[in-house]
Amino acid sequence: MLDTDIQSISEQIKRVRKYIKLKILEDNINFRNHDEERKHVYDLITRVILHGESHSALIIGPRGCGKTTLLNSVLHQVSQEADVQNDALIIKLNGLIHGDEKIALKSITAQMQLENAVGDHIFGTFAENLSFLLSCLKTGTDRTCKSMIFILEEFDLFCHSGRTQTLLYNLFDITHSKQAPMCVLGVTNRMDVMELLEKRVKSRFSHRHIFMFPNETCSDPLTSCKRLFVDTMSLPTSLGKRRKDKRKRKKSECIQEDIQTDRYAVPMEVIKRCNMDVTDFEIDSTFIDEWNTHIQELVNDDKFMDVLEKFSYYTVNEQIYRNVMYQIISKLSSSKPYIHVSDVSSCVDETVCPEHSVKLLQSLSILELSLVIAMMHGLEIFDGQPMNFEMVLHRYTKFANTNSSTQSVPRPVILKAFEHLHQLEIIVPIRTDSTGDTTTSRVQKEYKLYTLGIPVEDIKEAVKGFKALPTEINHWFNSSVM
Amino acid sequence: MEELISTIPCREHQLQDLMDLLGEGDEPLPYSLFVSGSMATGKSLCVSKLLQYLNYKHVFIDCIECYSPKILYEAVVTGLTDQEDVKCDSMWELTNILNGVCVQTFKYKPIVLVFDRAERLRTMDQNMLMAFLRLREFCNLNICTIFVTNLVNENFYFKMGVREPIKLYFPNYTKDELFKIIFLNQKSFVNYLLSSSDACIDGQLKEDLENPELFANFLNAFLSVFYRPCRDLIELQHMARVNFVKYCEPIIKNEIKSTDLTKLWRHIAPILKTSLELLYLRINTSKSVQSPAKENNATLEETTRSYENTLKEELLSTKTFAQSFELPYYAKYLLIAAYLASYNPPKEDKRLFMKNHGKQKKKLQQVRAKAKITEKLNTQLGPKVFTLDRLLAIFYAILEDKIGLTSNLLAQIATLVELKLIAGSKEVDLDVSKYKCIVGYDFIAAVAQTVGFNVRKYLYDFI
Ligand SMILES: Nc1ncnc2c1ncn2[C@@H]1O[C@H](COP(=O)(O)OP(=O)(O)OP(=O)(O)O)[C@@H](O)[C@H]1O
Ligand SMILES: [Mg+2]
Repeated sequence: MLDTDIQSISEQIKRVRKYIKLKILEDNINFRNHDEERKHVYDLITRVILHGESHSALIIGPRGCGKTTLLNSVLHQVSQEADVQNDALIIKLNGLIHGDEKIALKSITAQMQLENAVGDHIFGTFAENLSFLLSCLKTGTDRTCKSMIFILEEFDLFCHSGRTQTLLYNLFDITHSKQAPMCVLGVTNRMDVMELLEKRVKSRFSHRHIFMFPNETCSDPLTSCKRLFVDTMSLPTSLGKRRKDKRKRKKSECIQEDIQTDRYAVPMEVIKRCNMDVTDFEIDSTFIDEWNTHIQELVNDDKFMDVLEKFSYYTVNEQIYRNVMYQIISKLSSSKPYIHVSDVSSCVDETVCPEHSVKLLQSLSILELSLVIAMMHGLEIFDGQPMNFEMVLHRYTKFANTNSSTQSVPRPVILKAFEHLHQLEIIVPIRTDSTGDTTTSRVQKEYKLYTLGIPVEDIKEAVKGFKALPTEINHWFNSSVM
Repeated sequence: MEELISTIPCREHQLQDLMDLLGEGDEPLPYSLFVSGSMATGKSLCVSKLLQYLNYKHVFIDCIECYSPKILYEAVVTGLTDQEDVKCDSMWELTNILNGVCVQTFKYKPIVLVFDRAERLRTMDQNMLMAFLRLREFCNLNICTIFVTNLVNENFYFKMGVREPIKLYFPNYTKDELFKIIFLNQKSFVNYLLSSSDACIDGQLKEDLENPELFANFLNAFLSVFYRPCRDLIELQHMARVNFVKYCEPIIKNEIKSTDLTKLWRHIAPILKTSLELLYLRINTSKSVQSPAKENNATLEETTRSYENTLKEELLSTKTFAQSFELPYYAKYLLIAAYLASYNPPKEDKRLFMKNHGKQKKKLQQVRAKAKITEKLNTQLGPKVFTLDRLLAIFYAILEDKIGLTSNLLAQIATLVELKLIAGSKEVDLDVSKYKCIVGYDFIAAVAQTVGFNVRKYLYDFI
């Protein structure tokens, strides 16, 4: 092969990698499945924008099922169909960031671009502040207000238990008053979210719940997993470089047109948002064909499908699927231009059963592992009653004394090893209610009670696979403890 | 890349994985990575070296140094914008800055935030950690957060679930790998040896000592003893450094030839065994030891070493330590009484301390024999609280001669509290005061020996 060829191949691979990564991470517009739910949300939003109807609703679904993506995709569609810029105001809040009410209000003000109007105003209550903001928004002769769409992500974090839920109360209250057309959409993964609401808040909520469950459209998780894989990994033919095309100027335009229709393509908006250009991704047409065939071959490969099946039974969280696909894609290089089933398999295995705690145990020193075993035996005998250092030491010395081959280790070193286990949270101190006289109720560290922080199965697994484990330890481990 | 791999030996896989995930400058970065592995497995080193190599904009944050959210946010902002005195109180302000200044300066250039010792983040503010895991959702930047920790992922459990990071695991070094890594620093070990020796070393002797084979032999012997109780590279390097000096002592004194391996082994084996006892117990030398590649100040090392030796003696023989407390005669008995009160069940006091207890003692032995199966000895459960009158009762019982309850005696209890041998209030009140003995068995046995008292005889556990 010629040098330039190799160069161009590595360049092609680079583009493929970049494009698919973009698709995995940045595409928040394309949305699959959940047609009904999407339609529901779409209706709510268009009704408030076009007809000024106020609403409230909760979107509930587990992590990574696409709640955020659904909203983004609906908002994107609406923005193309209506003049959102002038007719509506979209305010996004996230419980992780705006959980504090003061911050929420500041952010609302900023998103309404009313910081100047508010200036040095001091408001008595939250409600006053909010209605001031709304009055500022009223424009035109009839003093009507723009429609407002509030999106509250991690909705449960706005439902404080200690403080009053002022923000929620006021927002829901507005949806009932005629102050302004407003739609409040809460997004959460907590099924029991209603129980977190104050009574007065609950009574103002519309009780409209939109549930999203992964895979409800197609019953079989494997099929949807496979579909996701093909959709994500395949390249749109519109990226193809048409070598014979002489009218160079028009090229980028026709690519743009094609992209609008291709289901494998990343929407133009996304590419623009990432400061990129479609022309960055021109790839040889033949290469695209080869690549897409390669993907098709993969999903027809039994071994590959076995791996995928295992994965799809482990989780239905699309976000985790995407993590795995990202890892697979990032492994591509000019020396390895195709996806290997073995790579996929090991990546899935890592994700499905990470067994990190087993690995952690196997990385312990023999002394530390011995202490874990001693503790495990002790817990077995005493039906899981917590143990302190002295008890563990006692069991350990009993073992060490019967085995001349084990080196004797001084007590301070063993204590250090024990503390190390605590640091790694392999053993965890039990909580004691620290009431009473402080000087006498505090205990020396040797007597603090601990219990195991990892399941016994993991210890068994770790001992089985431990490299160069002395046989006497193995015997001891397997010996019946009584 | 080759170069990078050679500076961090035995981590090719991990470097390659990290490298793949972080990609090339213009590719989208993942949302977040979670890097875990035991102490001293090179996690932070690999991450920071690689980011330098890739020349990505990155901020390295030690979550122990940045102990509060505010300090942490401000460290991020300072790192990204090079402004010194920024104010940033909340995640909201941070995202504003990211979406403002940072979007302008960085566009879609890669940015990485590394949180070292991330286990600390859990106790700071759960929402903060959760927000950092999905930071990309909040700002239009090509930004990635990397969490480095020695805890496994399961310890980062959230009731509400999080956006899952991509996980990477750094396994411990094997014995061979440890050998390889420590061996790379052979020169610094030799330099340390030369600078810490008083004798003048030159010519043939110097050549002998600098011979890598000598060091390799030492290292083999060393690891054969130390690999079992310890896998921590930093600790091992420290111990190896101290012991290599001892290994070479007879060579310098011209007692053993540097080629006589069996003799050298016989010389070092007992030394290694005793220094095993010192493992982890060093104090305050971490700074000078953690980087053996650096040249160390020899005198400083010298002082720490001698300090270590005294410490060793003290720690290893609680006996001398206990005897170094020059307590008055009665105070010793009071302490012993306190110990007995702490570790004996009160209901056995009668049998243990009554003068005529011949018969009962037998019975007691039977009781104990049965109870022994439970294995839960009082001495293992830690000291129990006792009242002052019980202490005095035991005190008078074990003391042969009769003395009255003087204020002097009570004052001595206060002294014992002050010396932190027993815990309790310094105000001695016969009715309400409660105490607990907080010295160990070794200590009390040593004290008892000085007054010719046998503690075991009066300990419920040992009868
Ligand atoms: N139906 C879908 N169509 C397209 N992409 C989806 C779909 N479901 C999930 N995804 C993708 O999965 C990832 C996670 O989705 P998203 O962030 O929307 O989930 P979420 O429900 O908001 O999760 P969380 O509860 O953690 O906020 C995103 O990258 C998104 O693009
Ligand atoms: Mg979301």
